[in-house]
Amino acid sequence: MRTFRKMALLAGGLLLLMGIKSPASAQNAPSRDDIVAKLDKYQADQELDVAALRQQVTERSKMRGKNEPTPQKRPPIVPEITKLPTFNVDIVFDVDTPIVQPESYQTVGRIADAMVYASLLPYNFLIVGHIEANGKREANAILSQRRADAIREIMVNTFKISAKRIQAVGLGEEQLLDSARPNAPANNQIQIMTLSKIPESEPPAVAAAAKKPAAKKKK
Amino acid sequence: MVRGGIFLAAALLALPSVAAAETMSFGDAAALLARSCGADITANCRGVNLDSSRLKECLSRNQDVTSQQCKAAYLQSLDAIQKRIAARVTVANACTREIVKICHGSTKETSKSVPCLMTASGVSRNCTQAMTDAGYR
Repeated sequence: MRTFRKMALLAGGLLLLMGIKSPASAQNAPSRDDIVAKLDKYQADQELDVAALRQQVTERSKMRGKNEPTPQKRPPIVPEITKLPTFNVDIVFDVDTPIVQPESYQTVGRIADAMVYASLLPYNFLIVGHIEANGKREANAILSQRRADAIREIMVNTFKISAKRIQAVGLGEEQLLDSARPNAPANNQIQIMTLSKIPESEPPAVAAAAKKPAAKKKK
Repeated sequence: MVRGGIFLAAALLALPSVAAAETMSFGDAAALLARSCGADITANCRGVNLDSSRLKECLSRNQDVTSQQCKAAYLQSLDAIQKRIAARVTVANACTREIVKICHGSTKETSKSVPCLMTASGVSRNCTQAMTDAGYR
């Protein structure tokens, strides 16, 4: 029995090693530990009204006055999030849709692996979508929101990460990651950010919210 | 060459789940799905996202045109994801004593006790194994 278990562990270890190097994957998926290392740097909660931010993005993406700054010159729409612990990741989507291509499945799985890892369990996350400054500005805002939402849905539905832990916002081309080159592929990255800490639980008797963070549950 | 690699990887990936309660990481399970079924998904399930039930539904509905490789692997990879999720519940059972006595937590909110369990001493092997299976460590 003991040796049996040892063998299983060994195989598991081998698997882990393979997972990290995995030369067979089409894309170079980041390792779970890479993601954890970037996100496990929480300092303070970021007060952020995500619903209001979405609204702001929608409105700004519709501006088309003569004096509208070019994409390079636009001030970032939510500069405060740039201070949050962040992991930038390339996820390949079907053109103009929020459908993740199979070559990025592993990457998405690794993000889920990071979110269930012990050191990140106490935190809430923000998924931020971006689109390079090509095509219609307004459409880009919408597409980035749909993509950020899609990643959130995969986390919640497929990997059963608590929905309360994840918020999503699409910034379109309103906060370019490489503003000097508005068409650069870097501007299509998805960002995962450590947004806030889940409040400490109340005494066990009251903590009926199962595994989900009892966040703003009053009652 | 690539094909051989795929089969080797698939065989290796299949090993631990057979050997014990050991689970596969989400990343590896998703990678297995992509390697085995990527082409099938692109061809027959365009517009379906990485959603366990929708993908399962689409791939089984298209059985007639699905590759052998994919047929052999898609349920395995989707089950691997479910197993990893189910393992979280096992932690509450395997670590009841540790959660309550050492971490002063509740088994109803296991995940809140996990960071404590990771560093606590006197955690049983069963509990440690359960946390590994759930992907907490």
